Amino acid sequence: MKTFVNANARDFKEAATLARQAARDGKSAAFSGGGSDLLGLIKEGIAAPDVVVNLRSVRNAQRVQDASGGLTIGGLTTLDDLSRDGAVRQRFAVLAEAAETVATPQIRNVATVAGNVCQRPWCWYYRNGFPCFKAGGRTCFSPTGENQFHAIFGGGPSYIVHPSDLAPAFVALDATFRIAGPSGERTLPAADFFVLPRENAARENVLANDEVLTAVQVPAIARDTRTTYNKIMDREAWTHAVVSAAVVLQMDQGVCRAARIVLGGVAPIPWRLPQVERLLAGQRITAELAARAGEVAVEGAMPLPKNRYKVPLVQSLVKRTVLDLATRT
Amino acid sequence: MSEQTGTPLSALATVGHATPRIDALERVTGRATYTADVVLPGMLFARALRSPHPHARIRRIDTARAEALPGVRAVITHENGAVWWGAGSIAGGGQYNDELKQITKQRRYTFNNPVRFVGEPVAAVAAVNRHVAEEALRLITVDYEVLPFVIDPEEALEPSAVKIWPEGNLALNTRNEAQPNAVRRGSLDEGFGAADEVFENRFTTAFVHNAQMEPRASVAHWEGDKLTVYTPTGGISNCRHDIARDLGIADENVRVVCQYMGGNFGNKNQNQDADLIAATLARKAGAPVRLELSRKEDWLGMHGRWHTIQRYKVGVKKDGTITAIQSRAISGMGGYRKNSGGVSGLELYECPNVESTTYPVYTNRTSSGNNRGPSDPQGFFGIESMMDEIAHKLKMDPVEFALKNMRKPSAQLQYTNYSLDECIRRGAELFDWKRRWRPTPGSDVGPVKRGAGMSFMAFRAGLGRSSAMLRIDARRRYTLFVGVTDVGGGAKTTMGMIAAEELGVPLSQVDVVSGDTDRCPYSVGESGSRTTIMTGYAVVEAARDLKRQIAEHGIPAGNDVLTASATPNPNSGGKVRSCFGAHFVEAEVDTELGAVRITKYVAVHESGRIMNPLTARDQIRGAALQGIGQALREDLLYDRRNGQPLNAGYYGARHMTHLGAADIEVTFIEVDDGFGPYGAKTIGESGIILGPAAVANAVSNAIGRRITDIPIARDRIMGALA
Ligand SMILES: Cc1cc2nc3c(=O)[nH]c(=O)nc-3n(C[C@H](O)[C@H](O)[C@H](O)COP(=O)(O)OP(=O)(O)OC[C@H]3O[C@@H](n4cnc5c(N)ncnc54)[C@H](O)[C@@H]3O)c2cc1C
Repeated sequence: MKTFVNANARDFKEAATLARQAARDGKSAAFSGGGSDLLGLIKEGIAAPDVVVNLRSVRNAQRVQDASGGLTIGGLTTLDDLSRDGAVRQRFAVLAEAAETVATPQIRNVATVAGNVCQRPWCWYYRNGFPCFKAGGRTCFSPTGENQFHAIFGGGPSYIVHPSDLAPAFVALDATFRIAGPSGERTLPAADFFVLPRENAARENVLANDEVLTAVQVPAIARDTRTTYNKIMDREAWTHAVVSAAVVLQMDQGVCRAARIVLGGVAPIPWRLPQVERLLAGQRITAELAARAGEVAVEGAMPLPKNRYKVPLVQSLVKRTVLDLATRT
Repeated sequence: MSEQTGTPLSALATVGHATPRIDALERVTGRATYTADVVLPGMLFARALRSPHPHARIRRIDTARAEALPGVRAVITHENGAVWWGAGSIAGGGQYNDELKQITKQRRYTFNNPVRFVGEPVAAVAAVNRHVAEEALRLITVDYEVLPFVIDPEEALEPSAVKIWPEGNLALNTRNEAQPNAVRRGSLDEGFGAADEVFENRFTTAFVHNAQMEPRASVAHWEGDKLTVYTPTGGISNCRHDIARDLGIADENVRVVCQYMGGNFGNKNQNQDADLIAATLARKAGAPVRLELSRKEDWLGMHGRWHTIQRYKVGVKKDGTITAIQSRAISGMGGYRKNSGGVSGLELYECPNVESTTYPVYTNRTSSGNNRGPSDPQGFFGIESMMDEIAHKLKMDPVEFALKNMRKPSAQLQYTNYSLDECIRRGAELFDWKRRWRPTPGSDVGPVKRGAGMSFMAFRAGLGRSSAMLRIDARRRYTLFVGVTDVGGGAKTTMGMIAAEELGVPLSQVDVVSGDTDRCPYSVGESGSRTTIMTGYAVVEAARDLKRQIAEHGIPAGNDVLTASATPNPNSGGKVRSCFGAHFVEAEVDTELGAVRITKYVAVHESGRIMNPLTARDQIRGAALQGIGQALREDLLYDRRNGQPLNAGYYGARHMTHLGAADIEVTFIEVDDGFGPYGAKTIGESGIILGPAAVANAVSNAIGRRITDIPIARDRIMGALA
């Protein structure tokens, strides 16, 4: 492990400034929320920042607040707090369910919302120190290697899948991300926060090196809206999604008014399925329609040699999740 | 019922009663001192540098910058610190001893050149703290000549493959010949000629790490010529002898201490290179040294179960009688031969014409070695999948097929008692086999399908030599000295219970001193599931002697003590002593998600008398769960283009957590065959043998497709059904 300097930030602006200062001094910096991902990367020698900007010293960013029917979630809220929050559980089940499936209780006790969304890929090439795109290199090892868990959508030139369980839930809820830099704030729709490798293969999101994610705003959702997160795992806990689906359905007496469906574990970003959403809108959700939704969900999938199984898997996942949610009483 | 079944049991006072471990409180309150908790005055901290290449020659290794780093006290490499590690590579891979070390040509040192797998030690540093040691590792530059490598054992056998050893990639036997292990009986021609049908299939099993909770650590401390090593080992006596032999010093100049350890499963038998590296560093630095391995280092640097490729050809008559079995198996041993590479299971079938050939093959992967039932679960998976498939093809119930063809006692093969048939019948009944097994595999309607599978085993429970000492003082406290360590099976407690039983006193009156070669007599070691039988029997004899002395001299007074010791070496008079078992599994497969759930698991075992029902039951449960993990999840994947392992560790290898643990229903058939301590047989390893076969058979019965490769992961199920 490389030695680093710890710098406690009092607020997000100071955090961003500390990162900018480090860069000016020719040093690399990394933000640490819970540190559950970052410290592992440092120990394995995959990340080697000179300065770790500690965000836990930032105050008032660890809470979920009601905001006119919606929510403002502080970036440093732990996943455990998020999953237990009353408003989240009642109105935004997809978020509570997603948070609950993350890793283990130990990790959820320290992991933060911002850190979860910004965690680095869990591709085994990256995590084993291969000089891939994500490590600043110029190649992706997965397409001709072991790609069982890699992307079937949106891949190239890197084929990672985005690892965050919260990310698909946020996109499905049409959340807004708040970002602070040394010279000000900006906000972005969750869907625009994540970037495909063809735009930038080294990173998973739009953040500059000296920008922090400070909060996530979730808008109020219409009454009669039901939400859920369905995650397929290779064991019962302590692992990322093989594939997952965040589903939001606005129902009116068995008829679907509007739908938002976002997949995890299939693409380098949370993968929205607009064609399925259109298929469902205005329709009564029957077993046949749900099956059709599953078929449409995998249209255009480009599996790699060892992850073809993800195609029927996603098809079944979408079919079942949509039908279960729509017919839930 | 077989007439050889032993006598029913008489009740005892302590043995046979559910007894919590005598050191449970220390363990769960964090007071137990594991090796990585040992701190000695002036102790240094050591870390190892490991090869990033699967196969490379070291041209030059420059440690000058590391040595110059303040706080660094010793740096060793293959140039100045290599010790010939006898147990690291053994000709023939058999039970290791002095003679075998001398025979072995394909030797392993603590540091080797060339290096033969990713994760092999290249250098080690001792420094004032761990951070300095790690920093120093980064300052060592190694100039590697990267060599071609081979990952696949079948490819390794091809003439064009790169030679990992000068003699080639087929590991040498005890005569240093590159010959496979072959067993022949009868005539295959006759056997296949007499068959109505001949079946062939190929099965593969994956490398699975022992995954014991505690990664390796070793603390070495020299006082003059005397070396003390604190190390997690399943056998302090063997470990001491191995260390002494490897360092070329006398046994009495080595003390091995292991008071607590966090699991073994065969990963910590004998001595390990970490012990020798720590000792070398400590001598060089003139201070005690603690070497610790990270989880990933432990995963790649030590060993796991050998992966196999097995081919079977079996001839049967229409009535299900087996007429011939031919098998050819290849076992991937990694770069060194730590164990046999055997593939067992065939011996459980009655068949006059058999030919079985096994090739232990070197590859540039992590070493293969001992893992709970070293050659069993993989072999039983192969042969019992094969037989299950044949039974289906013949439209026979696999239980009937097993009862018909399993090995039975005969004039040539006498058992001290035999209960395999009873285990199978009882298991079938408890499991409700007739109802759960699908005569037409895959016939359940809908995407979620159930099916049933079974498997059976026998495992040696031989007698042998070990020692124990007992003392009584004037306060009527008994102290038992036994050289055991508790690798998880509860040996300390069992030994205390046996002493209490034989002495006729409560367990609370017996103190157990264990895990220290300077304080305890020789013990066989916690490998081969033999501590209860062998050391336990020595405890019985020592207690008998002490009772005689007490009867003669009375309870000692004042400062007096009475002591007794025993080193029995009993035998079973030419009869085979085995434990037996059968597992029955129901699996539910969600065919749309490729997911498997174990919905019922019945394990019936005959292990003689059960000494402590609490630990015995959990030994079977734990082993069965490991078997399920091996069947459904665990693997060590390599990128074939660069020879790099990709998923070392609990996260990547998908090890099961408690949430995924199926409910294992354990039933013991208890009998006393008149041997061992109170008729106790072996348990520890036996429970892992059956899971992979029984689970795979259940999955095949559920989905109607034979899956021949384990782990039966999601991609394989969905692939089979696509
Ligand atoms: C065994 C294991 C299993 C796991 N399984 C899952 C799973 O099932 N699902 C899942 O979603 N995750 C899983 N994870 C990942 C885990 O959820 C993340 O480690 C955690 O959410 C990260 O949160 P943190 O606050 O600890 O982040 P940190 O480790 O502090 O940071 C993570 C990354 O985000 C950056 N970062 C942190 N905060 C900010 C910020 N405010 N602005 C900008 N960048 C920031 C850091 O620089 C770093 O690169 C698993 C992790 C482990 C170790």
